[in-house]
Amino acid sequence: MNVASQTPVSPAAHLKQPVSDAKPPFLGFGLGLRAQHYDEILNGDPAIDWFEIISENYMIPGGQPLRILDRIRARYPVVMHGVSLSIASTAPPNFEYLASLRDLARRVEPKWISDHLCWTGVHGKNLHDLLPIPYTREALDHVVGRVQLVQDFLGRAIVLENVSTYVRFTNSEMTEWEFLSELSRRSGCFLLFDVNNVYVSAFNHGYDPMTFLEGIPADRVVQFHMAGHSHMDTHIVDTHDHPVCEDVWELYAAALKRFGWVSTIIERDDHIPPLDEIMVEVERTREIAHRVLPPMARHTG
Amino acid sequence: MSDLARQQSEFQHAILTGDDTILAEIPDSPREKRETLLGVYRYAYASRLVEAMRNDHKLLHVYLGDEMFDTMGHAYVAAHPSQHPNLRWFSGNLPDFLKSAEPYSKHPVLSDFASLEKALNDAFDAAEAPVIGIADMAAFAPEAWAGLTFRPHPSAQRLDLSTNAAAVWLALKADEEPPDPVSLVEPNRLLVWRQDVTPMFHQLSAEEAMMWDEAACGLTFGVLCSMLATYDDPDGAAARGANYLHGWVTAGLLTGVSAGA
Repeated sequence: MNVASQTPVSPAAHLKQPVSDAKPPFLGFGLGLRAQHYDEILNGDPAIDWFEIISENYMIPGGQPLRILDRIRARYPVVMHGVSLSIASTAPPNFEYLASLRDLARRVEPKWISDHLCWTGVHGKNLHDLLPIPYTREALDHVVGRVQLVQDFLGRAIVLENVSTYVRFTNSEMTEWEFLSELSRRSGCFLLFDVNNVYVSAFNHGYDPMTFLEGIPADRVVQFHMAGHSHMDTHIVDTHDHPVCEDVWELYAAALKRFGWVSTIIERDDHIPPLDEIMVEVERTREIAHRVLPPMARHTG
Repeated sequence: MSDLARQQSEFQHAILTGDDTILAEIPDSPREKRETLLGVYRYAYASRLVEAMRNDHKLLHVYLGDEMFDTMGHAYVAAHPSQHPNLRWFSGNLPDFLKSAEPYSKHPVLSDFASLEKALNDAFDAAEAPVIGIADMAAFAPEAWAGLTFRPHPSAQRLDLSTNAAAVWLALKADEEPPDPVSLVEPNRLLVWRQDVTPMFHQLSAEEAMMWDEAACGLTFGVLCSMLATYDDPDGAAARGANYLHGWVTAGLLTGVSAGA
C-alpha cells in the first residue's frame, strides 16, 4: 500500500503516482557534511558510514560544491536534509522550491529526504528559522495535507524532525510527541528524532525528555541527530556550536534502547572543528550503540 | 483566515517589527518570561541573516570592520526581508542597497565592492558548461573565421565599476593596506568568471570590453574586427581580435563557437 492511498484527501487522488513508503535502511553512524571537511574526507578515508547534506547548500546551478558532492556520493550513502520546506506554513506551497529539491534528489539519489516540523515564513517572506507551531487539531490537519502533497510531488515518503522550541502556545491541544505520532500515522512520513532538540525543548518547557521519547512510535523513527547547544541558565538555545553534552549522550543511549538500531549523525554548524576532533563524537555514537543494543544481526532498519 | 494562519502572521510580525501581540498566546516557561523566550527568535532572525552576509561578503566585512558591517547588515535586513527559501540568494540586492541607501550611497566604492564580491560569488556556483580549447578554434578553416560566433561560459559576467573598488579588493585579498577610494574618470571594465572551480576577474581595455560585449550578443568575428578597427590601428584589428579571442579561450571563458547561421 502506498502512502497516498492510506488517506486520500484530494478528489484527484486516483491520478497520483505511487509514493514509495518503504522504511529507509539503517545506514550506521555518520556526519553532517560541511565544506570545512571536504578535503579531509576526499583525501582521507574517514570511518564515516554516511553523510547528511544540507539540501539548500546544493540547490545551486553548478560549481565546486556540486562537483564535490558528486564525488562524495560516489563513495558514501547520502541523505538530503532541508531547512526550507516550511511544511507547516499556511502560505501556499512553494513548487519552485519543491522542483529544485526534486532535481537535486534525482542527482544525489539520497537514501531519504528530511526536513523539519516547522514553518519558516508567510506572506512571501522567509525568516530562515525553524519556527514553532501550536499543537492543535487544525495544525495537524494542515500539516498532514502538506506532507501528503510533498510526498506525492517527490514520489516518496519524507522524514520530519522535531525542532528545538523556545515558546509554546496556549491553544495547543496535545503534546509535541502526540502531534508527531499522529502526523506520522496519518501522513505516512517517517521521523527524524533529534535527541538534542528533545533535550532542549524538554528543558525549555519543563517536561521530562523521557516522556517525549516514550511517546514516539518506535517503528516510525529512521534517524537520530546529535548536536551541542548553548545553555543560558533559564533556557537552552540550539546552536550546534558545541560538542554534545553528557546529558544528551545519556538520552541518546535511552533512545537507542527504545528505537533500536537507528541511523545517527553528528551535526555541527558553527565553530566547526577539524574532522579528527568531530570523529571522536561519531565514534562515540557507534560505541554507545554497540554497548547498549543487541548484536547488529538483529537490526534490519 | 484560519487560526493557524493568523497565529503565524502575528508571530512573523512580532519577529520582523517587534510587535508584542503574539505574547498573549505564549505562556511563561517554568524558568523564564515569555518576552525573553520570544526574544530568542527575534535575535536569531537578524543575526543569522547578517552572518550569511558576512559569509557572502568576506572582504567587505574586512573593509568595514565588525561594527560598521553589522550596522549596515541590520539596515539591509530591515530593508530587504528574505523572499527566497535559500539563504544563498539573500544578499543579492546588497549592491543596489549600498548604491541607494544613505549613508552608504555617499561612498560609491561600497556598492562597487559589493558588486564585485557578488559577481565572484555568482561565478563560483554558476551552471556548468564545457569550455572550448585552442584545438576547437584551429579546426575552422581560415575563410570560416569571419563568420564565427561565440557563446560565453555561463559564469561569465561583465561589470563596469565607477571607482577603484577592484584595487581595494585586491589589496585586502592580499592582506595589504587598501588604497584610498577614488572615483574614476573612465570606468574600470571587469570580466568575472570561473576558471575550473576558481572565481576570477580580469580588467579589460575599452576595446576588449566592447568586443566581449558584442561577441556575447552574437556578432560574428568579422563584424567584431570591423568594430575593433574603429578603436585603434585598422590594419591591426584582426590581429588584436584574434589575440583577445586567444585569451578568452585559454582562460576558459567560452563554451561554444560556431561557424555562421
